[in-house]
Amino acid sequence: MSAFEWLEGTRLALWVGESLWGYPLLLSLHIIGLAIVAGIFLMLDLLILGLAGGVKYATFRDLFPLAWSGLALNAVSGLALFSSQAATFIVSVPFLVKIACIAAGVVLAVLLRRRLQVLVDRRDGAGAAAPRLLAVLSLFAWIGAIIAGRLIAYF
Amino acid sequence: MIQTIVQNIEGSPVNDWILSSSWLWPLLEIIHFIGLSLLLGAMLVVDLRLAGYLRSLNLVSTHRLLPWATVGFALNLVTGALFFLGDPGRYAINIGFQIKMVLVLIAGLNALCFLLAVRPKLAGWDPYGDTPPLAKGVAWLSLAAWFAVLLLGRLIPYIGTG
Repeated sequence: MSAFEWLEGTRLALWVGESLWGYPLLLSLHIIGLAIVAGIFLMLDLLILGLAGGVKYATFRDLFPLAWSGLALNAVSGLALFSSQAATFIVSVPFLVKIACIAAGVVLAVLLRRRLQVLVDRRDGAGAAAPRLLAVLSLFAWIGAIIAGRLIAYF
Repeated sequence: MIQTIVQNIEGSPVNDWILSSSWLWPLLEIIHFIGLSLLLGAMLVVDLRLAGYLRSLNLVSTHRLLPWATVGFALNLVTGALFFLGDPGRYAINIGFQIKMVLVLIAGLNALCFLLAVRPKLAGWDPYGDTPPLAKGVAWLSLAAWFAVLLLGRLIPYIGTG
C-alpha cells in the first residue's frame, strides 16, 4: 500500500470524502484563500508593471502577511482536500502543474518582497528599477495555478 | 415566470452553442476564477485601506486599482451570464445562486454609495491617516458582500435546488 493510499484511509480523508459538509466546507475555505493570495499578488504584479496608474507600490510589502495567511489557509484546506483522493491527485498532470506554479509563485513573492524592502529603505526610491521581470513571472505563476487548478476536475 | 424564462433559453442557439462544446465550459470557469481574483484582490486592498488599515498605503492611490475590479466584474458578468444561458434550469431554481445574485445587487448598491458619498470626499482626508465612520461602513459592507458572493458561488453545486 502506497503512502497516498494510506493517506486516503485516514480519518481526516474519510471525513472529507464521505461527510455531507466536509468537501464543500473545505472548497469554501480554499476559494477564500485563493482570492486573498492570488488577488493580492495579481494586484502587486499589475502595480509593478505600471498597469494601475503609477502607484508607489513599495509599501505593498505591508500586504504580505495577509497574502501569506491566505496561502496558509489554502495549504491546510488543500492538504485536507488532497487527502481524500491522494492516489488520484498525485498522478494528475494538472494537479502537479498547479503545485509547481504555486511553488514558483511563492519563490517569486519572496524575491519581490526583498526588492520592495530595498525600495522602501532607499526612501527616495530614485534610480531603482522596477522588478518587472519578477512581476511578469509572478503573474504567469498565479494565473497558471488558477488554470491548472480548475482543470484538475476535467483530466 | 422562472419556468418561462428557462423554457425560452433551453434549445436556443446560444444554449446549444455552450452545451455543444466540451472545452467551452472549463474555459469559462477559468476566466470566472481569474475574474474573481482580480475583483476580490482589488477590493481587499481598497476596502482594507478605506476601513482604516494599511496606513502605509496612500488612501487615494489605492483607488487606482478600481479599474481592475471593474475588469474582474465584467469578465465574471459575461462568463456568469453564459453559465446561466448554458444551464438555466440548474441555476434559476438554485437557492445558492439566488442569494448570490441578491448579494451582488447589495454589493452594487454599496459601490454606488461609495461613488456618490465617499469618493468625492477622499481628497480631503489624510492619505496616510484614519478614515471616517461612513467610509469604514462602506468598506466593511463591500468586503462582507463580495466574500459572501464568493462563498455562495462556490456552494452552488452543493446547495439544494429549491
